[in-house]
Amino acid sequence: MQVPKDPAILRWSAVALIFATGLLDIYYGNSYAGFFENLWYAMGAIYVFTAAVIAANFEPRFAQPTVFGYAIFLFVLWATTALGTGAGLDTVAYVDKAIEALLVVNMALLIRNSRRPSTLT
Amino acid sequence: MALCQGKKLDKTFSKREFEPTAMTQSTTRQWSTEKLLLVIGMIAIVAGIAIGASVGYAVRYEAPTTRTFYLFNSSLNFDEELWGVSHDTFAPDRITVNKADKVVIIYRNIEDQNEDHTFTMDAPYKFDAVVHVGRNETTPVVSSAPDLTSVNLHQNQTAVISFTASWGGVFQYRCIYHYPTMTGYLVVLG
Repeated sequence: MQVPKDPAILRWSAVALIFATGLLDIYYGNSYAGFFENLWYAMGAIYVFTAAVIAANFEPRFAQPTVFGYAIFLFVLWATTALGTGAGLDTVAYVDKAIEALLVVNMALLIRNSRRPSTLT
Repeated sequence: MALCQGKKLDKTFSKREFEPTAMTQSTTRQWSTEKLLLVIGMIAIVAGIAIGASVGYAVRYEAPTTRTFYLFNSSLNFDEELWGVSHDTFAPDRITVNKADKVVIIYRNIEDQNEDHTFTMDAPYKFDAVVHVGRNETTPVVSSAPDLTSVNLHQNQTAVISFTASWGGVFQYRCIYHYPTMTGYLVVLG
């Protein structure tokens, strides 16, 4: 599989993934009947905000690693609470977390490509 | 002259020393990016596990589950005509579940006379109901229907009522023939 190396492509795919995850989180908070629904709203809102930050390419050296860490943190948080309580083990959550896993990979590639020195210099 | 040469040599040396080559720069930067990703990843994983485990432990959340209740009609020992209200009630008159639980109510009309009772709920709740001809749910099915708001039971019939508690709050269930005394409340926590 060809991995895109253009930071612009990686940045916009990251924006799409972040935005999708954010919307899914908010939808899940709204539709999911049960515990942690306010937390899902908050997680989703933060994702939507960070999608705008990444799209604007604002402070990428700080913003990109932050999103990378945030996505890993939320994935692990979900996995731990889901395994511990049995909550959040359904199709919507699985799709949401699959997109989040893709986002982690996308962010890692984006960070590496953004920090790679240009061959012209 | 010697001094001049020395200065020249020093200049050359210092220029070589501090002029970064493309290879060194690239290697150093790549390493630090990977290290950065690794450190962020490790911190995020540790923080996620720690917070997730402590939240799960502290809150002691019970995951959505199926909760079964047995519901009966009951009657209080007073003269209905004298007091002007029905003496029929529900037993129990309160059902408490967590939001997202699947609720199964096995409702029995245990009247000792020929009298009907209903189980009726208002929006947003609707339920599936299977009515059995006899005193328990192993007897033959009389009727079965989804998305009902009311089900009627004759004497000695049993209904299996099921729904998911998708809305939090307090919701009334009642018998339309013996309202308002035959009223119960579904309490959905969350």
